[in-house]
Amino acid sequence: MAVSSSWTEWLQNTPLAVTISEDWFPWVESAHVVFLALVAGTIFLVDTRLLGLTSRNLRFSYLSDRLLPWTWGAFIGATITGTMMFIAGATNYTSNAPFLIKMGLLVLAGINMLYFQFVTFRSVAQWDNGRPIPAARAAGAISLVLWCLVIGFGRWIGFV
Amino acid sequence: MNLHEFSDWLSNTPFSQAIQITSWAIPSIQVVHIICLAALFATALMFSLRIAGRGLANEALHVQAPRFARAILVLTVFLLVSGTLLITAEPGRTITNPSFYAKMIMLAIALAITLWLTSVSRRQLESPRGVHVAAAMFVMLLWVGIIFCGRFIAYVESY
Repeated sequence: MAVSSSWTEWLQNTPLAVTISEDWFPWVESAHVVFLALVAGTIFLVDTRLLGLTSRNLRFSYLSDRLLPWTWGAFIGATITGTMMFIAGATNYTSNAPFLIKMGLLVLAGINMLYFQFVTFRSVAQWDNGRPIPAARAAGAISLVLWCLVIGFGRWIGFV
Repeated sequence: MNLHEFSDWLSNTPFSQAIQITSWAIPSIQVVHIICLAALFATALMFSLRIAGRGLANEALHVQAPRFARAILVLTVFLLVSGTLLITAEPGRTITNPSFYAKMIMLAIALAITLWLTSVSRRQLESPRGVHVAAAMFVMLLWVGIIFCGRFIAYVESY
């Protein structure tokens, strides 16, 4: 523990971390909300299409082609702003349960996405227009739940 | 009754008290609020891009625009309900907060422009002009401003 607390302490005391925590935090946090809204919002549009709830008249591959560049761009922004918030209070985050759970959920969301991309999506030609196959619907449902939980635990970081 | 008296009265109502003493209530409502704003923000972006002839542009604008507008309005209702609950829970934090008022003014303008663009899209079919594209981009700036002001309610002092 001594080792892990020392690297977070070192990180938190770097000039950048001090500047973020003293002067920039509300701006960085607000930018993080904008980016996360774009990440989660575009993912929700894809997930609800997989579940057959929205955009039923759009080909799935067309929808995902048009949305995912925004998702990834915003994800980079969310990662940068998230990292900035982390270094500003590193010692608190490493012992913050909602933060650790959120990171775990992000990993699960990534695994779900990779499995969908490299396994389920290969047969997209068969279900691009109509109702997606069960595996695709399951991926959409899992993603929807995981991202809602990511937002939930993310918000809870500030309440413990 | 001025705003401070109204705020005190509201925070003493049984409903406000019930939210205040339930420790998980405020963060839970905030989470619902953020989930809805994420969906709204992405939908608004798709609408603005569509006005500019980009994004999801597989169908005629006059067909797509009302769909986007309906989704934005439904999500706005969810946001107003969850937002009202948050105000009821902590009136002293919001009702007298300049950031909250800036947010509400921008929200009114964003919704007005969205409705205007929807009606233009219906009438003018496939020909949004430069002014419409500019308005569509401006709405996105307003939504970003609304998110910033929403978060800044936690940092700006109430008067």
